[in-house]
Amino acid sequence: MTATAPAREAAPAVVVHRVTFGRVLRGEWIKFRTLRSTVWTVVITAVVMVGLALMMAAIVRTMVDTPEMAEGMSQDPGLQAIGLTGTTIVSFGYSFGALAVGVLATLIVTSEYSTGTVRSTFAAVPRRLPVLWAKLVVIVLTTAVVVAVALVIAFVSTAPLLEDAGMSVDLSDPEQVRALVGCVLYLATVAAFALAVGTLMRHSAGAIFTIVAIFFVVPLIFSIVVQASDAAWTDWVNKLLPSVAGERIISRGAETDALLDPWVGYAVLVGYTVVLLVAAAITLKRRDA
Amino acid sequence: MIEAHGLTKRYGPKLAVDDVTFTVQPGVVTGFLGPNGAGKSTTMRMIMGLDRPTAGNVTVNGSSYPQHGRPLAEVGALLEAKAAHPGRTARQHLLALAATHGIAPSRVDEVIELTGLSAVARKRVGGFSLGMGQRLGIAVALLGDPRTLILDEPVNGLDPEGVLWVRNLARFLAGEGRTVFLSSHLMSEVALTADHVIVIGRGRILADMPVQQLVDGASRRLVRVRSPQAADLADALRREGGDVAPGDDGAFEVTGLDAARVGELAAAGGAVLHELTPVSSTLEEAYLELTADSVEYQAEALDDAGRATGAETGATTDGAPR
Repeated sequence: MTATAPAREAAPAVVVHRVTFGRVLRGEWIKFRTLRSTVWTVVITAVVMVGLALMMAAIVRTMVDTPEMAEGMSQDPGLQAIGLTGTTIVSFGYSFGALAVGVLATLIVTSEYSTGTVRSTFAAVPRRLPVLWAKLVVIVLTTAVVVAVALVIAFVSTAPLLEDAGMSVDLSDPEQVRALVGCVLYLATVAAFALAVGTLMRHSAGAIFTIVAIFFVVPLIFSIVVQASDAAWTDWVNKLLPSVAGERIISRGAETDALLDPWVGYAVLVGYTVVLLVAAAITLKRRDA
Repeated sequence: MIEAHGLTKRYGPKLAVDDVTFTVQPGVVTGFLGPNGAGKSTTMRMIMGLDRPTAGNVTVNGSSYPQHGRPLAEVGALLEAKAAHPGRTARQHLLALAATHGIAPSRVDEVIELTGLSAVARKRVGGFSLGMGQRLGIAVALLGDPRTLILDEPVNGLDPEGVLWVRNLARFLAGEGRTVFLSSHLMSEVALTADHVIVIGRGRILADMPVQQLVDGASRRLVRVRSPQAADLADALRREGGDVAPGDDGAFEVTGLDAARVGELAAAGGAVLHELTPVSSTLEEAYLELTADSVEYQAEALDDAGRATGAETGATTDGAPR
């Protein structure tokens, strides 16, 4: 440290460029990759997704040798609803993935508020909105790439087990391809949804609670309510829940009146996400930081 | 140059900044002085576009801050000591901000060296002391080589060497023709660093003048005099150019004449003196006087027994009127 005034006359002029979206994006990417917690969350998500796929593949492989178990599973209504195929096994960890990317996407914005970083961020980018869109690009692309990589690894590593079980993934079947691509799309969209909720709520605990409630608790309650009640509205609310609607794109189960068509369901989730992002953008621009 | 016009900020029922108008000129260090809660930080946050004014507007170098294409080249701000994620290193924090303006990593290393953070630049901010956090904040402020610097309580948490460094830095940057606006709740700090001072209390501007003028006004000396022939003596003192004002309990206060001269005049006029006390008010006293009515969180004065004097006075008034 220099106790005297800095000798800056000698230094060449500092080159400062205009703020562009590309530069804001680079800044957000640096922020994303320089936090150990983010990097670990991403790695663990991929590892758990591959691990769950391998576990399920190992279970169906044992079914071949134990007919009693195969019979038990074929009569399990839960498994029938999922429609157990090679694709469902490969993408089996998507639910855990949704929790992980949901929390991660929430935190990349709420942690800016809890640590005060947001003041530095908005001092550098006072128009604010480029920051939100840059975070969106970072979290959505990262999620898509990580999930795609996890699915490829899961696909390759489960292939021998699934072949033995007679449940190989058939990439010539458009429905199976849709389900795998849908897994990537669904998790990327959940990330965008969570980013919007985090921006709207700004507090980590509250935002994470909201995401968990919307994607895990409410659907659980409604799965029970729908069974217990004959009221038509419960069916409608259930099939329009963000997770229930969005997950349709991954499912391989039979088409029923109780659920939306895969692409329609996914479109509903995208619709919620867009509305939340617009609301997030408006409040971000208006509120005091 | 910073220009605020009728700047107002209301939080619910509370008026944090009340119709404030001022100009901060380039080339000098301007101090922003006021007690805690007076509205200094809120004003600075409005300049930076972080808080939206309820009324009025403020521009930096001619336009409102968010409208600048290269914000960090216009204004560098230190608003809070801890404005970085504890999980990132100081260098990573600076690199991320530099990236938004395409500022080269070499400039990041330059400001790290400039602020004396070289040894800890690759350590995570979570382990930083208040002083190191403050230096990182100053490094962020200097990153874009800005024309205007806004520093909120920059010497908080710094060791004496660091305080001296901030003073020199502020004066050096102003000497280069930049606008330097720094806040403090300490009059002495502002007196040492700033050329011009804006005093704020309860959201209102109380003074806007060269520091020297405030200091001159503050350091006026007065003499407290008590005499049975007060009226005659007062006349005599006034004839000699003194300014006489009645003080507490029968004493009066004389300005413009020193204690020796007052004594001589009393002797010449045959007046008996019961008290002749030179009183010099300090800079801090002048500041306290200026902001006395505008202190947000005023401590109650305690009497010798440690009881709040307010309560004591109340009891006296109720029980035995004087």
